[in-house]
Amino acid sequence: MPTLALVRMNGRLDTLAREAGMHPDLVARFIRLGLVDPAEPGAGAQLAQAARLRRDLGIGYSGAVLACQLLARIDELETRLRRYER
Amino acid sequence: MAVGYQDYYEALGVPRDASNEDIRRAYRRLAREYHPDVNKDPGAEDRFKEISEAYEVLRDPDKRERYDRLGSNWRSGQDVSGTPGFEEYFRQGRGAPGGFEDVRVEFDGDGDFSDLFEGLFGGRGGRRSARRAANHEAVLELDLEAAARGGRRRVTLGDGREFEVDIPPGVRDGQAISVPGGNLLLRVQLRPHRRFRFRGDDLETDVEVAPWEAALGAEVRVPTLDGGARVKVPAGSSCGRRLRLRGAGLGGSDLYAVVKIVVPKKLSKKERELFRQLADTSTFDPRRS
Repeated sequence: MPTLALVRMNGRLDTLAREAGMHPDLVARFIRLGLVDPAEPGAGAQLAQAARLRRDLGIGYSGAVLACQLLARIDELETRLRRYER
Repeated sequence: MAVGYQDYYEALGVPRDASNEDIRRAYRRLAREYHPDVNKDPGAEDRFKEISEAYEVLRDPDKRERYDRLGSNWRSGQDVSGTPGFEEYFRQGRGAPGGFEDVRVEFDGDGDFSDLFEGLFGGRGGRRSARRAANHEAVLELDLEAAARGGRRRVTLGDGREFEVDIPPGVRDGQAISVPGGNLLLRVQLRPHRRFRFRGDDLETDVEVAPWEAALGAEVRVPTLDGGARVKVPAGSSCGRRLRLRGAGLGGSDLYAVVKIVVPKKLSKKERELFRQLADTSTFDPRRS
């Protein structure tokens, strides 16, 4: 049974890796750091963003995860703010 | 790249005698500010491209020297993409700080590159080297063109060991290449490219067209990883139209040429007259579809 779960996970990793244009190992690494829930829709886009930030800003893996999460939080807050301002 | 001359030092806001460290610091600061993932301003992406291009050249001592000597023509007479550059040379531990930006060596585990950077460039020193000396993972930075082509490369480690590495054509960012005989794994890191960007597996590049070319259709040259191709822009192409070049991406993925309509900054008298005529005659209203 655990084997099956692993295979299923790997299948998802490969899909995500393709979606994000990244190597599956890199995807796995970001997932281990808690960047995304692999089952979540939009996980591929977040992974790609983290990879871009890491590559372009010279930050580490966990730094990229933090930046991504903060950016998502800002997006969310800005959306809410706009609703209030209307 | 824009056709006009771009002063790379100005782009990064550093003096011409700036040290590598100054250049890196300026790039990092500007990149954090203008990275399109961070800055949603419409102009941020172009600015970021400008900064990246400047850094790409100034951080490489060879390219910088050429640029200093030749200015905007620094590329001429040299096929930069095919020249084995610094990326093949690895250095471990604390190296001479000059010019080894391209060289990143990472030890096994979830280590961050920035830690190693600090190790290399001062800051906290080789703490990490004590940890699991065997089973090294090094980062091999490659240009997109080199990644597409693949082939055999010589890699020199800081301790003088040399390896021949076969880079599979179409190798991806993050992919690992094992070095035969060496207890070493090379992790590919693709450099940002001034003309191509990734969209999923596929590549994208902008293709600039004149308004009349977009309206009437045209055959234009599009840069590809192995040089260029001629592409038909169909009549009636608006900005953002994606033209597929099947298989011209990285490792058999597709390349998309994205139509970008460019308007002359200054019109000649005749041009102005013709546009005026068109404006008077046309019933087209782009805001009402």
